[in-house]
Parts: sequence; structure tokens; C-alpha cells
Amino acid sequence: MAGLSSARCLFRSCSRIKHVERSRHTLMRCGVRTFCGGAQDTGNARPQFTDAAVQDILSRITGLDLQKVFRPILQELNPPTYKLMTDEQVEQAVMGATEKAKKLLQMPPVLPERKPISDVLAEDKMLEGMDTAKFVFTDITYNIPHRERFIVVREPDGTLRKASWDERDRLVQVYFPKEGRKLTAPLIFKEENMKMVFAQDRHEDVLDLCLVQFEPDSSEYIRVHAAAYEDLDKHGKYELLCSTRHFGGMAWYLVNARRVDGLMVDMLKRLLFKDAVSLVSLFHMVHPNSESAKEAASQQATGTDLLKIYAQMESQRSGYIELALQAYEQTAAEGSAA
Amino acid sequence: MPNRALRQKRQPQEDFTLCPSTSSEENPVNTMVHLSSLLLKKYHGGYVVIRLALAGHKQANRPFYRIVAAYNKRARDGKYIEQLGSYDPLPNIYNEKLVSFNFDRIKYWIGCGAHPTNPVSKLLGLAGFFPLHPMTITEAERLRARTEQTVAGAEEGLEVGQEQAEV
Repeated sequence: MAGLSSARCLFRSCSRIKHVERSRHTLMRCGVRTFCGGAQDTGNARPQFTDAAVQDILSRITGLDLQKVFRPILQELNPPTYKLMTDEQVEQAVMGATEKAKKLLQMPPVLPERKPISDVLAEDKMLEGMDTAKFVFTDITYNIPHRERFIVVREPDGTLRKASWDERDRLVQVYFPKEGRKLTAPLIFKEENMKMVFAQDRHEDVLDLCLVQFEPDSSEYIRVHAAAYEDLDKHGKYELLCSTRHFGGMAWYLVNARRVDGLMVDMLKRLLFKDAVSLVSLFHMVHPNSESAKEAASQQATGTDLLKIYAQMESQRSGYIELALQAYEQTAAEGSAA
Repeated sequence: MPNRALRQKRQPQEDFTLCPSTSSEENPVNTMVHLSSLLLKKYHGGYVVIRLALAGHKQANRPFYRIVAAYNKRARDGKYIEQLGSYDPLPNIYNEKLVSFNFDRIKYWIGCGAHPTNPVSKLLGLAGFFPLHPMTITEAERLRARTEQTVAGAEEGLEVGQEQAEV
């Protein structure tokens, strides 16, 4: 009961969403640094999340619905401003808004899980029994990136070791607080609470909070994102994330898990054939050894042929995809005939 | 024979002219004139120390120290030159005592000839920045001897109690 009421209080305190807006940009600054670090491993033949081609496809299928990107979010109440504009000025304003929307839709990085730190710097057995508490020493020099900061722990038994990732995150938040981030993770990230929130269709809020709270390569971040994407896939609620910054991450996750059928069906329902085609090409890029990829490469297929090959080879719901393709071709033929 | 009269007695104050300091107490000629600093006392024979200053005097029974570079003659909690870190002696919910050091500035002040006090040296030794302070080791040994004594005493007391119960 207490857990329910506290969860309800959490959902009511939506002022956190305001903080999320501003801290997004600071997070992107930190995120971009690790982003570039990930793009440097050229040894893998496998395409990574950070490849230009992959990013291009993902940003295209995310879509750019201005109404959804700039929908009213909880922020300070300002009276609306009205401007008198000519048609050209309106067009320019719309272009400026598209630019801003593209920046807001910048995808958060997808990184492999970070390896645990277990470096012991010194073992001094003579200090054993000196104190019952640990000493945690942080270096608060201003100009070092947080990843390179020295944070060491002196245990009561005398060992001097580097701090683990959780301790690091917590102490960096103590000495260099970031807006919107809490010292202890909010209760919303527990399994039961997440299920409740997903039932209310609030995946985007959970993902935004997760982005602010956790580092992109922490296990918590990956776990929350995986849970959100699984739930979306199970219930087919892909349009919740459409035209948001999390869509690319979801598409990448599904493509890597080879469960693209649901997303494909959803796209065809909403008649987004170009997006479906780019999704299939992304799938072939990531899994070049699959049968459909080899067929497509041998036939040099493009457009709806790609979809047909994919439907025949890989998908489990091939019937629906083929029907939808036929309907599309009919409407295209009628349109060109008329 | 070296002329001892010519050799000057080495003042700790002389160290400050080696490193560029913006404070105008030592060198009012080279820096901007701050009117307030002309009214400040000039510490004769004073030197800079890195020490713990108690902060948050509003709460009783809740100490919190700032690691601070200050003049030797100043009050413990009075005006300091620069804050170099913090130390919280009470452990938190994760059983940690949080200590922070701005190592960059500590190196600067030690380079300028600041003296760290014993508690600060012990903390820096525990952090691994300085070698371990001998008193830390001595205190650890003393604590261990004391706990062994109390444990031995408790065992003796138990045995005596058992014998009395038998008898």
C-alpha cells in the first residue's frame, strides 16, 4: 500500500519533466564524448549503432511529427505570444522549428555495458581495525571529465581500492550535482512499478527519467530500456515512441534481437512504406548473413521487392506483409492510372 | 671561512615571492591595490597552513570540516584563503566517511610552501596521496591492542562467572 501511494506521488510530481528538458542538453554534451569514443573501433565488420548509415536510417524512420515533438509539456506558465507574419516568415519559422526538433530528437547513445572496476591500489594490513567505516576520497579538481576522476575507497581492513561504478556515480552526483538526477534511483525503476507505468502507456516518461538518472553504459540504464522495448514489442504500441528520440534505440534493439515483425506490421498499417523499406535495409546491414540479406544482395532488390524478400524469408507474419504490399501496389497503380 | 653574517636567516615568508600570488599582503607593489587588504594585519612570521576548519557551527553534535588553506595566525573557523576540500567525520547510510580533495590546488599550495597539519596529513596518507602517516599505524596498533585486551578481559570475566555458577 505504501509503495502504491509513493508511486502515485511520484507520478504526480511531474515537475521532473521540466528538469528533464534542460538537462537533456547537458547529458548530450557528456553523452557525445562517449559517443565518439565508441565510433572509433573499426576492427568490427558488424555495423555499430554509431555508424553514419545506421544513424541515417534510424533518424529517417523516427519521423518528424512537429506536433508531437513540440506538444505541450509541463513547464513554466507563460501567456502565449501572438506574432503577425507573412507567409515567408511562417515558412522560415517552420524551418527553424524543424531544426530545433531535429536537435531535440538527437538519439541517446547505445553503449555496451561497462565492465566492473576492481583495481586495488594498496593493501596495508597494518591499518586493520583502525575504523569501522570506509573512507571515500574524491578528487574535486574542476577541469577533469567525470570518467577520469580519481575516486578511491579505503576499507576498514586497510585496502585502498578504486571505487565501483555505483559509488562513482553517487559521489560525482554529490560533488557535481546534475539537474534532475537523484542520489538514490527513483522507485519508478523497480520492476513492479515499471509494469504499472507501462500499463498506463507512459513509456516515454520512464525512458526520459532513465536518461537523466543513469549513465548510458550502466546496467540499470540497459535493463530499463530493455524492459521498455520488450513491453512495447509485446503490446505493439510502437506509435508511442514514434517521432521521439527513443525510437532509434528501440529500432536498433529490435533489429539486433531479430524481432522486427511487430514494428514492420505497425509501419505497414500506418502506410509508411518508405520507412518499412529502410527498416529492412537496416536489418540486412546488421545481419548480412541472414537468408533474406543474401537474396536481396544477389537480386540487387530495392523498394517493395526488398519487403517481399524479407516477408518470404525472415518474417513470421509474412501473410500480413504480403497483403499489405498488394494493397499498396493496387493503390499506387490506381493513383498512377488516374 | 664562509661569512655567516651574509647568510640570511630563511623566513617562511620568502617562499611566497617564488610563486605568483594574487594576494597583496606579501607583495602590494606587483598586484592591484585592494583597499581592504591594506587595512588587514600583516602577519609577522606567519605562514600558510592546510588544515581542517569546522563548518556549520549552527548545529551542535554534527561536525563537518572544510579542508582549507589559511594563514597560521587566523582563527580556526575564520577567514581562509581557499577551500581545498571537505571532510565529513560521521559515516553515511552506506557506512562511508566522505572526503574530497582538490588535488590540483593542494599541489599548488604545497608548492608555495604551505604546511599541512597532522589530521590533514593523515587523511592524505589514507587517500594514498602522501605516504601513510606513522601515527595512523600507531593508532591502529593501539586500538587493536586495546580491543584484544577487552576481549581477553571479557573472556576471563565469562570464565570467572562460569566457575562461580558451578560453585
